[in-house]
Amino acid sequence: MPPALDLANLPDADVVALAKRGREAAYRELVRRYERPVFSLVYRMVRDRELAEDLAQDTFIKVLQHIDRYRPEFKFSSWLFKIANNVAIDHLRRRRISTVSMDGSPHAVTAEAVERTSFDVSVHEESALELLEAKELGTAIERAIAQLRPEYRACILLRHVEDKSYEEIAATLDLPLGTVKTYIHRARHELRALLEDVRQ
Amino acid sequence: MKHRHLLPEEFDLLLDDEVGFGVAPLRDHLAGCADCRAQFDEARQVAVALEGLPHLAPTFGMADRVMAQVPVFVPWHVAARDTAVRWLPQSRPARVIVGGLMTVAGATLTAGVVWLASRGDLVAFATEVTATRVRPVVAGALQNGAVALLGPGVMESLEHGGLTELGVVASGFALAALASAFGLRAIAAAARRRN
Repeated sequence: MPPALDLANLPDADVVALAKRGREAAYRELVRRYERPVFSLVYRMVRDRELAEDLAQDTFIKVLQHIDRYRPEFKFSSWLFKIANNVAIDHLRRRRISTVSMDGSPHAVTAEAVERTSFDVSVHEESALELLEAKELGTAIERAIAQLRPEYRACILLRHVEDKSYEEIAATLDLPLGTVKTYIHRARHELRALLEDVRQ
Repeated sequence: MKHRHLLPEEFDLLLDDEVGFGVAPLRDHLAGCADCRAQFDEARQVAVALEGLPHLAPTFGMADRVMAQVPVFVPWHVAARDTAVRWLPQSRPARVIVGGLMTVAGATLTAGVVWLASRGDLVAFATEVTATRVRPVVAGALQNGAVALLGPGVMESLEHGGLTELGVVASGFALAALASAFGLRAIAAAARRRN
């Protein structure tokens, strides 16, 4: 039995190296580490919880099945987000999906469907008013993001939610740096316009 | 800078907290221009709200669901090393003893090989003597095995016959072996289908 390692404290590159050597625990650590970011990105792209679960799962399966193709000169997270984005974009291309709010899809006709397509924003230690305002702004932002073009959506989420640099986003989405800057600028501009009412 | 408002890309530089050359004058302008300040605050508010978006959690057990569909590939050299590690004792004194024994065995083998290499004529002589003694024993054992397998009649016919008889017997043997192999494979496939 190989010696037990504290995988949680290892950098991505080391965990990937262990996965390439057939350590199942390393595979699981990669999923544990990125399940939330990947699920969040995919969910905000497709706006359906159940579908996002399937697509996030597909992303991890693709990544782990081809872990030997990963090139360590790139950040693992960039490679992972690239595949997640491709999976989501492929799905959106196959089936156009429009907007769903945090309070559930507008297409949901049953209580179960509303429940399935809605989600909670965890806000802690805040007053009821702050909670309401935060949820209102959060809901409005989620709604506004959903109205962006998928390309803008991916760029703005990677920039502001995942805190990626422009260069990383360009590498992740296979786009020229100038295009990424343009997309983010336009996304910010559109979001400001879409959130005008809420801010007032 | 004082004579014009900030350009859209200049707002982006400030929003991204750029610190490079040329950003300081933009900040100075922002401090003194109410219009640009208002626009920047508006954009900043949206950026802060975006940064506050939480990571959403998938349902519990994603790793298990993923791993159920991902075969873990263990390269042969890793598997070999793991096996070797598994065979090694866990305690330090035991490892030291095993290491010592392996070193002694290795040294003995090396010394033996070096000695044999230095005595090439002796090795050749010993090989010849051994071969002379072993050859009739092996040939006899093979003949006995063939008689037991094919029967004395066939062996006699083979001894008196020529290559034709030998060919017929060899072909029959090959056909029987092939039929057995295919039969076993079919049985195994049927068993897998049942599972």
